[in-house]
Amino acid sequence: MKYHLIGKNVPVCDAKEKAAGRARYVSDMSFPGILYIEMVFSTKPHALIKSIDTKAAEAVPGVIRVFHCFNTPKRTFNRFRTVYGQPVYEQERIFADHIRFAGDRVAAVAATSREAARKAAGRISVTYQDLPFSLNIQETSDGRIDDIFPDGAVYETPAVDIGDVDELKSADAVQVTTHTELARICHVTMETHGCIANYEMDSGQLTIYTPCQSVFSVRTVVADLLELPYHRVRVVKTTMGGSFGCKQEWITEPVAAYIAKELGRPVQLIYSRPAEQVSAVSRCPLTGDVTGYYTADGVLKGIDADASLDAGAYVGNTYDYAMAMGYKFTRSYRVPNLRFTSRAVITNTPVSGAFRGWTSPEAATMLEHNVNMAARRLGIDPVNIRLKNAYVEGDVDNRINVPLENTQITRALKEGRELFAWDQKKAENAAYTGRFLRGVGVACGSHVNGYFPRKQDFGTVDIAVNEDGTVQINMTLHDHGCGSVTAFKMMAAEALGIDMAQILLREADTAVTPFDMGCFSSRTVYVLGRTLIEACGKLKQAALQNVSEIHHIPLDKLTCCGGAVVCGTEEIASFKEIGRDSIFKLQRQLRASAHYVNTTNPGVHGVHFAQVEVDTCTGFVKVLDYLAVHDIGQAINRGMCVGQIQGAVMMGIGAALQEKLCLDRNGQPKSSLKDYHLMTSCDLPPIRVHLIEEPSKEGPYGAKSIGEVAYVAVAAAIVGAVNDALGSDLCAIPLDPESIVRYLSTKEEQ
Amino acid sequence: MQISFILNGKEIHLDVPPERRLIDILRNDLHLTGTKEGCAEGECGACTVIMDRQAVHACLVLACQLNGHRILTIEGLEQDGRLDPLQEAFVNEMAIQCGYCTSGMIMSAKALLMNNPGASEQEIREAIAGNICRCSGYEQIVKAIQSVQDGERSKEAGND
Repeated sequence: MKYHLIGKNVPVCDAKEKAAGRARYVSDMSFPGILYIEMVFSTKPHALIKSIDTKAAEAVPGVIRVFHCFNTPKRTFNRFRTVYGQPVYEQERIFADHIRFAGDRVAAVAATSREAARKAAGRISVTYQDLPFSLNIQETSDGRIDDIFPDGAVYETPAVDIGDVDELKSADAVQVTTHTELARICHVTMETHGCIANYEMDSGQLTIYTPCQSVFSVRTVVADLLELPYHRVRVVKTTMGGSFGCKQEWITEPVAAYIAKELGRPVQLIYSRPAEQVSAVSRCPLTGDVTGYYTADGVLKGIDADASLDAGAYVGNTYDYAMAMGYKFTRSYRVPNLRFTSRAVITNTPVSGAFRGWTSPEAATMLEHNVNMAARRLGIDPVNIRLKNAYVEGDVDNRINVPLENTQITRALKEGRELFAWDQKKAENAAYTGRFLRGVGVACGSHVNGYFPRKQDFGTVDIAVNEDGTVQINMTLHDHGCGSVTAFKMMAAEALGIDMAQILLREADTAVTPFDMGCFSSRTVYVLGRTLIEACGKLKQAALQNVSEIHHIPLDKLTCCGGAVVCGTEEIASFKEIGRDSIFKLQRQLRASAHYVNTTNPGVHGVHFAQVEVDTCTGFVKVLDYLAVHDIGQAINRGMCVGQIQGAVMMGIGAALQEKLCLDRNGQPKSSLKDYHLMTSCDLPPIRVHLIEEPSKEGPYGAKSIGEVAYVAVAAAIVGAVNDALGSDLCAIPLDPESIVRYLSTKEEQ
Repeated sequence: MQISFILNGKEIHLDVPPERRLIDILRNDLHLTGTKEGCAEGECGACTVIMDRQAVHACLVLACQLNGHRILTIEGLEQDGRLDPLQEAFVNEMAIQCGYCTSGMIMSAKALLMNNPGASEQEIREAIAGNICRCSGYEQIVKAIQSVQDGERSKEAGND
């Protein structure tokens, strides 16, 4: 084995606390004098608030104050803004006077007990003036809510335009058109949104404890909203019970921060599950069309694609989401010509936001279905048509002119075909011609490693060695629960030749850790990990320098080895001795600081294979076998990579076959998990994982990203398998029993 | 109302409204926050505890149902500072990511193994089907539970 630790299985650092029930999430935390906040949400989809009667609520013992649109600032914010000065549509108020969806924030009660807050919230009475509303993209296009915002209800994004798609129309390319519809889905993190905010009147210091994906983003949004200088807003990342994108939406933080500041007391705001489903955030419904241009032997010459994304009641991130989607069509295949147009469309429905993969899964679902239909039309095997178009080593993403380096997508297709027994399964499936039909699907799902070349993408890491040789790493990490802190301790321990137990590495805290963009765009391991390796290298250099000075040995005779500095084969000083002697003999601590600007973004891919069985009587789809092949560069913590991939597959199968947030006539979602069907332990096939480990050039130990890319291909693979089984052209997901039965009965009628 | 029950082996006497939920008694009155609230309607399993020998949702059990019963929560599994073998197995088999479902998942598994130590994989999957985990594909969790069974079996074999 090349490494001591890298690639091994290491339980997450706080696994014991979590197993013992001792890990503290924000809902487990408390402060002396803490107040509890209960929210009141609108039940109207679109209305103006004429008046709010809070008398009965204020009479409830324990109630401190009731907040609503008439006693709070009119200033607006954008829940998704991640950096200072970012151009976004700021449309949301802390409490709305113009209600834009059934679930909009109307009021909040702060009380000394949860019971009192809840009781009082139920006694607030609101008078509304109803306005016309739209519950979907079509209704908005019909002009029902044109004046919902000064900027209107439809936000067209700049088109992506590469080559000349129109030229292909006249050429003798084979045109394949496909239509995709994606339902609104929820993240359903087991831990809902929530935070604690505390304001100290005397110092003017606001502190927010929150399980978020970026403490500095929360800081810039809250500080600007409350007009506080940035150093007076401290944001501390707490142990997070899952995110999958939903906790990069600042939903509870502005509310809790405002109330804490007004009352000068600590306040806790935790969303209940119904509040989470109704008011927090969901993944946008989307309709998309793709025209693919292929040669007769299956070479993809161009894509002309269009997508409308349902933003829900506020633009939030959907304009950026719609735009980002155009960047995701050139990550798996050579696409010489591409046009992508898209828009964010306002509806009076729950606000859409970031979801794992940030449009890579949505784009893949559209594109992979088109590739499958082309393969069928041209009589080419789905794996083979992908092999004709998939990138090979040395290719460049031509949209951004960035090399994909040693991309392994072609190898993943080939190895996956063998491991999955694709050809054998295909042959066997043909024997199923009765009530149960079987099919196989394959999909390529690709993503990124950080922002490059878009946006600034840098990392900062400081390391210091204590007088007993233990090591403190200061950097800004946001662990979603998948073990970022563990992976970083593994990398540092490997680099320095020390034990993981000797390392202190705390998560993000704006008062302590350096500025960072946050945990977005699968940048953590690739960009920050690389920064950490640079810092470890510098620390070792500093250790050599210090030992050279202390022991009067020429620098070029010394090397670092196994947590010590050696001269030839003789150990001169252990880390403990260097740590101590640097302080007491050289009067300086052994420390190093690294700053790294990322300038690469290699191809990172998952090629997924699925076999399904469709019951043509009930429309029920059962996944029989699943294989996820990943071009990962190098797994840092193998067991966690496998766990994340299996989790992504679970989530993607749910999205493909059953997850859908349904709305009532007022656009209010069903608030119960009884009506939102998640995959359980009994619903899943064995999920096999195969990792291809060809190290990337720049990633730490050659690692590439995994958390998001693992989710990209799943729904597309399942859709492909269902269509293979039925000979259908379905891509309106979820492909739930109802939709499959509807399809089969329509087919019968024809 | 006055209620008395056994919690993690200790007698508890409380004066609480009869409709107070067990999860609130545990978390708010007794400050045992290991039991998590995920949905408040018995759908997600995050608040699973063991009542006598049955896995129950602490969000669906009320104070008035507690008298004379034995409740075991995640905090009651650790003995003399040592994790229960099931907790150890969850750690070692990488069955813990974000951890928010972990307490409830372990309690469902514990109840299963109390009543059916030799449970098959299908029985294990059914026992935890009411516990939602959004991070994993359940495989590592099932393996963790199976590894405890294997440990028990080899212990028995060693005793023979």
